[in-house]
Amino acid sequence: MTNEEKYNKAFIESFGIEKDKLNGLKYQDVISWDSIGHMQLMTVLEDEFGVELDIDDITDFSSYEEGKNILRKYDVNLNV
Amino acid sequence: MQKLEGVVIPMQPTSISIQLLAGNENYDEMPHLKPLVPFDDTVISFFDELSMILMKHPQGRDFPDVITFGFFIRKANIKRQMKSYTCLRSNVGRGVSFHIAPSNVPINFAFSLAVGLLSGNACIVRVSSKSFPQTDIVSDAISSVLEKSKFSDLKRYISIVRYQRNNEINNFFSSLCDIRVIWGGDNTISELRKSPLPPRSFDITFADRYSFCIIKAEEYLDMQNKKKIAIDFYNDTYLFDQNACSSPRLIYWVGSAKLVSQAKEFFWSFLHEALIDKKYKLQSMTAINKYTASCQSALDYNNVEIPKVLDNLISRIELKNLPEDLPERTCGGGSYFEYTDDEPDKLFDIVSRKFQTLTYIGYTRSELNSLFIGKGALGIDRIVPCGKAAEFSLIWDGYDLISHMSRVVSID
Repeated sequence: MTNEEKYNKAFIESFGIEKDKLNGLKYQDVISWDSIGHMQLMTVLEDEFGVELDIDDITDFSSYEEGKNILRKYDVNLNV
Repeated sequence: MQKLEGVVIPMQPTSISIQLLAGNENYDEMPHLKPLVPFDDTVISFFDELSMILMKHPQGRDFPDVITFGFFIRKANIKRQMKSYTCLRSNVGRGVSFHIAPSNVPINFAFSLAVGLLSGNACIVRVSSKSFPQTDIVSDAISSVLEKSKFSDLKRYISIVRYQRNNEINNFFSSLCDIRVIWGGDNTISELRKSPLPPRSFDITFADRYSFCIIKAEEYLDMQNKKKIAIDFYNDTYLFDQNACSSPRLIYWVGSAKLVSQAKEFFWSFLHEALIDKKYKLQSMTAINKYTASCQSALDYNNVEIPKVLDNLISRIELKNLPEDLPERTCGGGSYFEYTDDEPDKLFDIVSRKFQTLTYIGYTRSELNSLFIGKGALGIDRIVPCGKAAEFSLIWDGYDLISHMSRVVSID
């Protein structure tokens, strides 16, 4: 699985949504991406990519796209 | 009878059943286990695996408290917490910790286990005899993680137990422990204190406490996120039916009468909306208690006003002065005293040892720091923004739990 596939899978499974919803998806756009869903997503991403996210990055992780920028800071390249 | 360093250990009672929910059933063995160091690697990896199970649990979304616990114990957070403990290099656990979890906050037993283990101790955790789904979810997950061979040794350090109130069993577990962690109320503390502790052991007690919220009306009126503030306040209060020690019961409004009155209108109507959105269910018994509390206050205090409300979800009691016995009036289920003043100074007249958490809206940390710290208040152990009242931290009720529950070995 590529990093991008892993990233998408984390969203799809944490929020129970389809892949076509991902582009442009923002925090609270779907019911399941609330504060609880956010904690679930962060934990899955940390586990999947073996990173430990900073509290500020967890707070700033406000959209599908923004999340990619944040992970890049942890040397997780999502276009490979 | 067994003897441990000259102390007689009562035999494990056989007549009353101790139900083991997870971990080690060989309780007598626990005082002989080697204490761990704080933030032991195996303990951290145990909690990280437990976190993964809880975060992906099919019932997780129904229990935000379980998810919050899972999020707290994940490796990234524990490592972050560790950073403030660089001074612990020569600490070790004290031995056995015996935890008596409360019945008002279901997930509390899990946090208590976490601090016990993270500070290096074996943990016997008595969960509430009330049955909560959260207890089963977390205990089952603990059991399944402990089944892994890499945690077979750690399994000996954990016992999650349930038993009906019983002095004989309290005596037994108390005789085994180095630290007894009693989550109140006050009655539970007195009950447990009847059970003797070994000479060097001690209690960490979390008694009944009183919490309140301070709101600067002018700042609140300027805030754009009133809906979020309402949800934050809901999480501090209604999530535990306002029965957590950290749930505010008094709202201290700061500002002119005019501004406060405007702010109140926004605040309570946004809260009411949040209650409808969250489908908060008020038990009939609680509604009656709230009504009785309002009537009682109107009888006991001068010039009390009870604002009219749409339904019974929010009960408000407006006070003209701050009576000293306020902390004794803890109705729960959304019953609030309100007091208004130009300045926050009046708080000092009533802050006693019983005061625990001050939540705030419209203040900055530094403002509150200069208002309260070093001014000789007998109470207030935590000052946190609204929404974080119930957020667990390794420092609780004025105790730095990791330091308190570990032993400092001084080496010269």
